[in-house]
Amino acid sequence: MSEDLRTERKNRLLAVRDLPTLPKVLDEVSKLVERPDSTTEQVAKLISMDQVLSAKVLKMVNSPVYGFPGRISSIGHALVLLGFNVLRSIIVSTSVFEVMTENMVGLWEHSLGCAMACGTTARMLGFKDAEEYSVAGLLHDLGKVVATVQLPDLKVEIERLVAERDLYYLEAEREAMGFGHDRINAWLADHWKLPANIKEGLSYHHKPHLAQLYPEMASVVHLGDFMVRAFEYGFSGDVGVTYLQPEALKILKIKPADFEKLLDQMSGQFVEIADLSFA
Amino acid sequence: MSEEHLCLFPRPQKIMVLSPGEDLAALFAMAFSPDEIEVTALSRGRGAVELLFIDPPDLLVVDHDLADIPGLDLVGMVKSENVYRQLPVAFVMDEAALGEDIDWCAAEVDELLTRPLTAPVLRARVSLTLARASRSLDANPLTKLPGNTSIIGRIQELIDRKEDFALAYADLDYFKSFNDKYGFSRGDEVLMMTARILVNTVRSVGGAKAFVGHVGGDDFVFILPIDRVEEACRAVVGSFDDIVPHFYDAEDREHGYIQSVDREGNRRSFPLMAISIAVVFNRDGRLTHFGEASQAAMTLKKKAKENPRSCYVLDKRQA
Repeated sequence: MSEDLRTERKNRLLAVRDLPTLPKVLDEVSKLVERPDSTTEQVAKLISMDQVLSAKVLKMVNSPVYGFPGRISSIGHALVLLGFNVLRSIIVSTSVFEVMTENMVGLWEHSLGCAMACGTTARMLGFKDAEEYSVAGLLHDLGKVVATVQLPDLKVEIERLVAERDLYYLEAEREAMGFGHDRINAWLADHWKLPANIKEGLSYHHKPHLAQLYPEMASVVHLGDFMVRAFEYGFSGDVGVTYLQPEALKILKIKPADFEKLLDQMSGQFVEIADLSFA
Repeated sequence: MSEEHLCLFPRPQKIMVLSPGEDLAALFAMAFSPDEIEVTALSRGRGAVELLFIDPPDLLVVDHDLADIPGLDLVGMVKSENVYRQLPVAFVMDEAALGEDIDWCAAEVDELLTRPLTAPVLRARVSLTLARASRSLDANPLTKLPGNTSIIGRIQELIDRKEDFALAYADLDYFKSFNDKYGFSRGDEVLMMTARILVNTVRSVGGAKAFVGHVGGDDFVFILPIDRVEEACRAVVGSFDDIVPHFYDAEDREHGYIQSVDREGNRRSFPLMAISIAVVFNRDGRLTHFGEASQAAMTLKKKAKENPRSCYVLDKRQA
């Protein structure tokens, strides 16, 4: 692919404005913020289920206007710093997808499941600030959403390649667009001044051993992405699971015995969210 | 004639009018009442400078057609001195002369009035200029929160109205060592963060009656109804302690302290920053002057500072 075409596509992706979401969480959050007795914790919990709303909130709080770009990676902290007025403006200005496809709903579930799996893993490993791992898990496929909105023709092509040539979604993206959603994530994270640990989680979740600053973060998201596929919760764009990099387990120092414990904890949590639906 | 001051200013606004004729000063007298403005009218520019520098007005009005010195040169003299930079200047000229070769980008004028000029237009433009100047003059340049003049004004106003209120003084522990180690711009990040926490917490707890001001540096003030202040303090302390570790480098956050240099020049370790809040109350019109409130808060603050962790102290004598 020519450098020009790549730059043109990159610019088109970064020019995304008013990223739409699915109506479910948006409706619930809108109701919640209008209630005088709602708390920041309640709102944060809801927003943490929706990748687009979470991305918007983090993009806003890390924008230079607020004076501390790249510092905030927790939705709860972001809400405290933005305040209800700004939050309300974000919610009112967010639109929903005009056509809600089954795949879209599946991708939202995949993203939520991954967030949960990442949070559980981080807690089991005793990592500080486990919520940040959830956030990275939630946002790990945001590049797919942005590509769908900004490059809709190529999105059709990607899905055709996945179906007809039995490619992994990531491979199909690289063939159709010239780069994968992991690359888009890295561009978005830079452009939106997201914190470095979130950026590495988003951009290295398919090759965690290459992450330079936060290999643990990238490995947790890699593992979470694998687990949510293994539990067959949601739809990432691929049928079945992807390859689990053994390096990720090495980086996280996860032994086979830990793995069983992790599976136990996760299966309990997947049962809990099984009834949740974005449709 | 009404005794109302203009724009809620505490006193009549001093306006110095430099114009060769008497028409301009006369127009001011038509547009405003004596309770609103006090006009000093001078016809010569040079003679006005000394008076202007020793006793600056709230607004300087300069006529383009001064006899002894070009109006814009005089404006330049005033604006080039940092202590007078904030003094708002209105420039008056004939509309017909606008085509003249004037470099408006270099003219440090805050407002332009053109002749023919009517009293209602003069009133509107001058009021806007004065109000705008008072806002931008007082706001903290970093956080844009109201500064000292507004803070004192607000407190004195509540005292005069004999309203019950709680006045909280907040500052940061170990802010200096953080600044020394990470530099000023990282320190500014922390101040911006602190301001956001205070504004959002105080507003959500106190609603419309709440007020947050930035005294300067790491000193902040907020005002709330007496029965809501403790709730706000608790929330501020909680949010601050949650968020502030993220403003340190990962390694320092991991340790829970930083290595920096103290006032004597010795290397030592300092804990992560904490927020200390001292709260004094005005009940049943006990306070008569702003100074009493700040004095009491300062004494109390020492007590809050004895605790290296984030904390708040309520004035026991009144709580």
